[in-house]
Amino acid sequence: MHTVSTTDTVAGQRSKRPSDWTPVNYDLHDTWFPVSHSRDVSSRPIRRIIHSQPYFLWRENGIPQAAEFHPSRLTALRHVSSAFTGGSGSYPVIERYGYIWAWYGNPDNADIQLLPHIPFLPLDGNIPDYTQRTVRFDASSALSVENLIDLTHADFLHANTIGDGISESDVVEVEWTSETVTRTRMVTQKSVAPVMRWVGGVRARYQDFRAVLHIHLRSNVCISYPRFRPGYDVPNLQPFLPVGRHRSRCDVTFNTTAAPSPFRYLMPRINYIIQPQDNSVVRPQNQRYLDESDRRDLHSRFDAPGTRYRYQMEQLAKRQRRGDFSYGADAEPGRDITTLLGMDG
Amino acid sequence: MMANSAWWALALSEAVNNEKPLAVVCNGEELVLFRDRQGQAFALEDRCPHRRVPLSLGCVVESGIQCGYHGWTFDGASGACTAIPNLHANERVPARYAARAYPVAERNGFVHVWLGEHEPNESVSAATYEPEGREYTGAATVSILHEEYLAAMLDGPHSLISFDAVKMTDFFLGDPCLKDNHLVLDRGAVWSTRMLPPQFVVDYPLIVRTAVPVSGGDIRVDLLTEEETPLCTVFIASGANRRGTTSLCWRGFLHRSEGGVASLRWRVARRAQRPPFRVHSHVDGEALAALLVAPSRDLDRLRDQSLIPVRAAV
Repeated sequence: MHTVSTTDTVAGQRSKRPSDWTPVNYDLHDTWFPVSHSRDVSSRPIRRIIHSQPYFLWRENGIPQAAEFHPSRLTALRHVSSAFTGGSGSYPVIERYGYIWAWYGNPDNADIQLLPHIPFLPLDGNIPDYTQRTVRFDASSALSVENLIDLTHADFLHANTIGDGISESDVVEVEWTSETVTRTRMVTQKSVAPVMRWVGGVRARYQDFRAVLHIHLRSNVCISYPRFRPGYDVPNLQPFLPVGRHRSRCDVTFNTTAAPSPFRYLMPRINYIIQPQDNSVVRPQNQRYLDESDRRDLHSRFDAPGTRYRYQMEQLAKRQRRGDFSYGADAEPGRDITTLLGMDG
Repeated sequence: MMANSAWWALALSEAVNNEKPLAVVCNGEELVLFRDRQGQAFALEDRCPHRRVPLSLGCVVESGIQCGYHGWTFDGASGACTAIPNLHANERVPARYAARAYPVAERNGFVHVWLGEHEPNESVSAATYEPEGREYTGAATVSILHEEYLAAMLDGPHSLISFDAVKMTDFFLGDPCLKDNHLVLDRGAVWSTRMLPPQFVVDYPLIVRTAVPVSGGDIRVDLLTEEETPLCTVFIASGANRRGTTSLCWRGFLHRSEGGVASLRWRVARRAQRPPFRVHSHVDGEALAALLVAPSRDLDRLRDQSLIPVRAAV
């Protein structure tokens, strides 16, 4: 595990060529994607899309199925099925944490051990409906993740809900493996966010905030554990499903079941306000990453996790371009991350 | 100006008759379309080789089209000049005197003309358009460059076409894919009566599928259910007109089976025979300028690769 704090300089970053960062083109294979909330899959097939690849989802006797064709056409079209299903037309599929997870890549490499550990969601998915929402980002999956990595944007873009940039101290740290990047931001004496004050009942003027974001690079599954004191923990899963180069889908779960009412019901719905604000900037941003450019993006100390994410993604993409889809020896996607998220702190 | 060798659908069948010649412009070529008494359609250059007056100002006669200036007459099929009025009986029209003639093919309600080099050897663009039942047709010239019209049809078709009681989103379902010389892109859509903002819908009940040509001008727009059952199909034949404008003519129809999924507003409107779609004859400049260039980048790349230079007539 490698770590760096924002007190380090970013001199080492200058040698990287910014033209290497092509977030719209990352199509990483051999990973589980949480392709749907469990509650959205029934006997009536629905279609989801990952990197333009269709995933038809339905249940047979309650058991989830995933195929690259509509079940009514599966038998007839099986002979033209792709390498993603190994010629069978069906994807490997697992149900866990309230999601249907389907494999994207070589089906022979599907391994339940590679499913991410999400300590704050029940394994059997038994969680109230109000915790789950669907949102869409008008950008590639990687740019949508960058939006979440650098929470300083919330101080400006979402000031009327999440809060302003005033604080006593603000430290950002990053650690990583070949398959994951983890960002920790610690802010002391931050103005209490409006949503926490008016909906959450936090009466103090200032609070401390520690937010850990753990990202699985191949799938862009983002496991987030923000802790507010005084206040609550707002653990959430935000999996940025790459629909295509221009759009992502996020079936989120905010586990606010331990928070008081009405905060626990309203916090998951905050996306209705937040999402259009995010989309207003990521929409024009995304298409600018489609152009070749020799102009380098500029960075501040708060971008250490973001630049590390870019670097690790590019390393992974390079390996896959060479035909190596294996997981690095330092990577264990399924390992327990309770301590990493700071849940036991 | 560059163009492709291709069949171009230049007019609706009902716009071409044996009474009034029809002037059309496509990719810098100026043509006149007309029919003979038997209903066969012809296309000649809209230019009398005598004194350059547009043949479209003349009239259709038994033996072809007659220039309105000095009466020179041209055969529709070959373009050969068959008569020069006022010549004596023993004076012949020189054999090489002719207007340029273009191959014509009529199919599924469109009159196609082959523009470019070589002999026509492909099927016409409207061959895939097979209407069932009542059609809705129209024609217009819009003040937008042809290349931009095609790009906007991928990036934001709502600026160019509307479906009644339907709200198109710009959430692309995947990326454009190349199929039969077309870039095809799906986007989600909802019934316009829906209360929740479209970006929070779990699964879109409707799909708008746009197929934009890599070469040529035939565009196809389909409104489908989420199970990909077609509700409405529109075929728009487009081409570059003068001064950066685009000519359009279109035909569209409702599919017979709605599958019981249509909103009440849609069903009531269809029973009242209101058109299920509207191709915009005016394009909002401000909305167009604000439209982000996203999936159409794939189209630019492919169309650049397929262009060959031809001489410009204007």
